[in-house]
Amino acid sequence: MKISHNWLQTYFDEKIPAPLKLAELITFHSFEIEGVEKVGNDSVIDVKVLPDRAHNCLCHKGIADEIAVMTKQALKSRAAKAVETDRETKPDIKIEDKVFCARYMGRCVEIDPIKASPPWLKNFLTALGQRSIAPMVDAANLVMFDIGQPMHVFDADKVKGAITVRAAKQGEKITLLDGQEISLTPDDFLIADDEGPLGVAGVKGGKRAEVTPSTKRLIIESAHFNPIAVRRTATRLDIRSEASKRFENEITPELAPLAMNNVSALIKEICPEARFGPIIDVYLVKAVQTVIDFDPAYADQRLGMKVPRDEAKDILTRLGIAILEKDDRWSLTIPFERLDLRIPEDIVEEIGRIYGYDHIKGVLPEKIADPLVLAMFYLMEHIRSILISAGFSEVSLYTLVPKGEIEIAKPLARDKAFARKNLTDGLLVCLEKNVQNADLLGLEEIKIFEIGHIFSREGESVMLGLGAAQVKKAKGVSSEKVISATVSLLGNELRTPISKHKITADGLHTVTELNLDEIVKEFKPGVSYGDFNFEPASNNRYAKISPFPFITRDIAILVPEATEVRVVWESVLKGIKKAGALELLVRHSFFDMFKKGNETSYAFRLVFQSMDRTLTDVEANKIMERINEEIEMEKWQVR
Amino acid sequence: MVPMERGHLHPITQTIREIYAVFYELGFEVALGPELEYEYYNFDALNIPADHPSRDMQDTFWIKEGLKDAQGGVKNVSGTDFPGRNLGRRLLTTQTSAVQIRFMESHKPPFRVFVPGKVFRNEATDATHEAQFYQVEGLLVDRNVSLAQLIGTLEHALKKLFGEKSEMRFRPSYFPFVEPAIEGDLKWKDKWLEIVGAGLVHPHVLRAGGLDPKEWQGFAFAFGIDRLVMLKHAIPDIRLLYNGDLRFIDQF
Repeated sequence: MKISHNWLQTYFDEKIPAPLKLAELITFHSFEIEGVEKVGNDSVIDVKVLPDRAHNCLCHKGIADEIAVMTKQALKSRAAKAVETDRETKPDIKIEDKVFCARYMGRCVEIDPIKASPPWLKNFLTALGQRSIAPMVDAANLVMFDIGQPMHVFDADKVKGAITVRAAKQGEKITLLDGQEISLTPDDFLIADDEGPLGVAGVKGGKRAEVTPSTKRLIIESAHFNPIAVRRTATRLDIRSEASKRFENEITPELAPLAMNNVSALIKEICPEARFGPIIDVYLVKAVQTVIDFDPAYADQRLGMKVPRDEAKDILTRLGIAILEKDDRWSLTIPFERLDLRIPEDIVEEIGRIYGYDHIKGVLPEKIADPLVLAMFYLMEHIRSILISAGFSEVSLYTLVPKGEIEIAKPLARDKAFARKNLTDGLLVCLEKNVQNADLLGLEEIKIFEIGHIFSREGESVMLGLGAAQVKKAKGVSSEKVISATVSLLGNELRTPISKHKITADGLHTVTELNLDEIVKEFKPGVSYGDFNFEPASNNRYAKISPFPFITRDIAILVPEATEVRVVWESVLKGIKKAGALELLVRHSFFDMFKKGNETSYAFRLVFQSMDRTLTDVEANKIMERINEEIEMEKWQVR
Repeated sequence: MVPMERGHLHPITQTIREIYAVFYELGFEVALGPELEYEYYNFDALNIPADHPSRDMQDTFWIKEGLKDAQGGVKNVSGTDFPGRNLGRRLLTTQTSAVQIRFMESHKPPFRVFVPGKVFRNEATDATHEAQFYQVEGLLVDRNVSLAQLIGTLEHALKKLFGEKSEMRFRPSYFPFVEPAIEGDLKWKDKWLEIVGAGLVHPHVLRAGGLDPKEWQGFAFAFGIDRLVMLKHAIPDIRLLYNGDLRFIDQF
């Protein structure tokens, strides 16, 4: 909700705190602030009003009330001076469903057509990010942004017969103010006349009785509509208007008269020639004020701090709550607009937040017995530790995938339309992606695992997925062997037989999944998590991954038998330095050595990659040439 | 042969372990919940009724109709089946808080529970938003539970995790399942960052869990893990956490 600092000031005689200071006060006592922006000579504070306070705080008055409570500054009354009733015309109002419409106030007004709203009104709307539409509409909107009551104005000459609040008929159509034609159902409610719909109640006005620059006679609406019904209609039609947003959060019907009074005064101000008929008020279901029986000691107990009794009383009084004291208990009469205050806990919050949570001194709850071990959690953590020691790294992949059995009603994208039915598909893709980067990772085999949930029509299971891939074919090793050895290892370490597990293999990659919901049935966890020696968590800063491809070069060097590998590597490094390519060397390894006569061969793998460009073969060749030069200078031989 | 090189735990796991170590010391036991959850546990029982604007605070992945559980029952964490009560539609859980009710239904207070879990929000993804992320939830139920205890617990945990000198502050907020509700900010490089949502368990929630609010009180809190992990390791894009790239994971 955008709040104008200048407009807030009109609620007070005293100067209110400057915008940033005010924003800070609001942050610590009421709401999160999303931003403070200078607009002309005004500042606009964007206040994040959550649903609990949207009953009365989606407007300047609500925020002004909060400020008055925080700063103890006196509020000025917002009731404008009532306009004189100097016409007899009055609207005929019929409410067919009092559950939907508890109150409807209407008033006829004659005006001289005026072209534009006065600059101050336009500026106010602009500051809030709204546009000026027509003077009478602007007036109604101003009242909504000011005190929170959505209003509507109809062109009275286009209304035929009585204003009726009723359920729509199946398939009944209406063209909205924005020209959109929509079809309604009996769950939607209308403002209608003898000819049909005039507007979708609480959501959006209709085109037929739209107020235009030539409008001479108005009917003003100030009403209360059922929050659930308005929300359902707004949701179904996917129309979220400023009005529906307020109605769906529920507003007290007691607000309607103030809105009618203020909009009348505003119209009179904009258009001094305006003539007003009497206010017709159909009030079928009277609002009842909440009374809460409150023990002030309860606030101290729940907050865990002593708020001086007088202070607590003062806070509640400033909030407009009437206190009746009797035998150490308070009977609290809640203002109509505070529909969020219903139970003693709500009062605890009011006292706590206004007094200030910074007064609370934190204490630790008393120690209790050591916690019980949850077998599944113990199992998962145990498996993680075993697998890490066995050289597996843990991945966490996406639950939402293109195919599966459990379908999402409104997916973000077609390739995220199902909850995964296995871990295997994700792990296979993941293995292959990592195989591509094997040189960069310095790995000859990729070994990964994931612990995650899978979903089928039968339900949900917690699975362990294991994946292995050989980067290059080598004798005696295969990803199948790695996986079966790992499953045996797990069985031994967990002292739990692992019988069923499906293996998916495609030559290079092997993946298997173990059902932890099954394994946990046989598994005997330790008596405490103290058995685990969790390694301290990594504190490493993330190092950016280059998006550019890397180039791998192997080099084997034949040297006299006694030459140490370190000495050979230094020469290689010297060559790279001379090529000015030290920062391109992202990984190197010493991967082979053998003796031949009185000579030794050392083989190194060099991986080059740039953070800012694609390296070319030409560049890599140049680096290798420099290395060769170094090797030749040592009278060694590149094989 | 070269000794086998150790693998790397996902940074999310490392952080969850690190946080749990702190709460384990405080007597919190672990509970786990499903990811495919019922409307009842995720919303209604947490004081978030249908047709209430508070439902908009979390964009939900609803499961396509026609796949309702035939028995109308649900397998609980501990394996208990609850008899045919109307649990509503199914969804991907939006908050670990859903486990609160499940735990209360099957345990006698006093208790302290720690719930790590993956949760889902139907939001467009970008560098700081993912449709899936991790939370850890804490729930304590006892006879006399105060905001001072909640704040003390959170301050203790944050100091253990971010150092004795870390500064926190608390502001009023709104989560339907707690009353009062607060949010905690951590000072990080001279900026205040929202880090934990918390409050005293709402009496409606205790009642939904089968506990008498006249006898039992509680506090609850939840941290978003991804955010903490990103802060701690200076990770610029949340999506790096979920692409399975060992060039990323092996850094930690």
